[in-house]
Amino acid sequence: MRRVVVTGTGAFTACGLGADRLWTAARDGVSAARTIEFPENPRQMVKRAAMLAPEDMEAAWKRGNPRMQDRITAAALAAAREAVAQAGLGEAGFGARCGVVVGSGYGGADTNDRNMRLFALDPAARVDPMCIPKIMTNAAASWTAMEFGVTGPTLCISTACASATQSIGLAMQMVRAGIVERCIAGGAEALLAAAVFRAWEVLRVMTPTLCRPFSQGRDGMMLGEGAAMLVLETEEAALARGAPILAEIAGYGTTSDAGDLLRPDPAGAAAAMAAAIADAGLAPSDIGYVNAHGTGTVANEQSETEALRRVFGQDLAGLAVSSTKPIHGHALGAVGAIEMIVAINALRERIAPPTINFLGVDDKLGIDPVGNVARPFSGDAVMSNSFAFGGINASLVARRYAG
Amino acid sequence: MTDPGDAKPDLARQLIEILAAEAMVDIDKLTPETPLEDLDIQSADYVMILMAVEEKFGTYISVDTDFADAKTVGDLIRIVASRIEAGTGATA
Repeated sequence: MRRVVVTGTGAFTACGLGADRLWTAARDGVSAARTIEFPENPRQMVKRAAMLAPEDMEAAWKRGNPRMQDRITAAALAAAREAVAQAGLGEAGFGARCGVVVGSGYGGADTNDRNMRLFALDPAARVDPMCIPKIMTNAAASWTAMEFGVTGPTLCISTACASATQSIGLAMQMVRAGIVERCIAGGAEALLAAAVFRAWEVLRVMTPTLCRPFSQGRDGMMLGEGAAMLVLETEEAALARGAPILAEIAGYGTTSDAGDLLRPDPAGAAAAMAAAIADAGLAPSDIGYVNAHGTGTVANEQSETEALRRVFGQDLAGLAVSSTKPIHGHALGAVGAIEMIVAINALRERIAPPTINFLGVDDKLGIDPVGNVARPFSGDAVMSNSFAFGGINASLVARRYAG
Repeated sequence: MTDPGDAKPDLARQLIEILAAEAMVDIDKLTPETPLEDLDIQSADYVMILMAVEEKFGTYISVDTDFADAKTVGDLIRIVASRIEAGTGATA
């Protein structure tokens, strides 16, 4: 069976342009939360989100095409270019033997939001004729393929918060199965637009204060946005090119609760984690760090903690678990790739980034995550979890590459 | 009905009305002692109740508040009323 390795990573998040900016912020526990205000919405209740910095977005647009692209695509391309550059890929690396899998939950929210408002206020106004191609959820995937000349399988997985994790997982399976030699995989999301933000407000899962996953006193999640991409390829192809090998993507597991649309089921989450660990040929005790889904909602952490307990048993007490969402925000369809890049860096440095804003163990959960300050861990493998609305669970396992 | 916990009677009455309307239960069946379990209130009903609270009082309360601890109508009213009175949630 072919081994699948990561040769490049790229990230454009609220922490900045660049995967190093993301990792540094995650490791040092520096939140990228900003005050966000929508003048269109005088009733706005929640005022914080991990929004892409306007100056970074401006920089990304310099290589984008606003007439044809929503900001989600500009963000995706910024991340993809970084990953491809790090992987050292030239024209010969793409073509039919390369694929693209880029997840997104929502597609071009900003274009959608602006134009629907325009139409509602004045049906005779000129709605952007490029609305449809800008908004479609596969736009970022297709622009990524066009940017590099990828003519192999190109697709978009849209499974809410599991989009990017499933994208990386499927890309890994395609490379492993020999369908493609390499794949650009990740996720993109840019839905901090007035009406969409209001829609999240009224679902009432956002915190009006601070996002503090697994902590006592947690009261909701914080939205984020951005894009993150990985270049995955066969070990053989990477070695032949003399490419840097950052880690091995060793295991992937995904399951569906087939239960409730919004309420997670620990059985499904546990099954996804167990499947990813087994797929990597590892035992739970081999995992040194888990980047949890850890949204900061009561429901997620009840379910995820129970699932972790079922998978890791007694070992959970000694396992480094954290959620980095208070730092980069819950970037939905992009967050699985953002967190996978965090997990890979954690693995390389053997440092577990912290769950910031942590006030203390929630006795109802009984889990003590890496709170507030990073700490070293031992082990050669890490796991990243994503559990989505729709009852979709996905876990990835990365292993240190030792040749 | 009797006073549900510490909430001021007027506020409590308004919250009972919201609860009845949004969760679609007969208001005459609601007493502070009524177990929430008996009312078959789903998570979606809480979202609707909190939407109405925002509309009426301008207070944002996330579903991730200590509702899980509420066992009775009185508990629920007390939690919501304390948030409104303290203005702890975000306000417009």
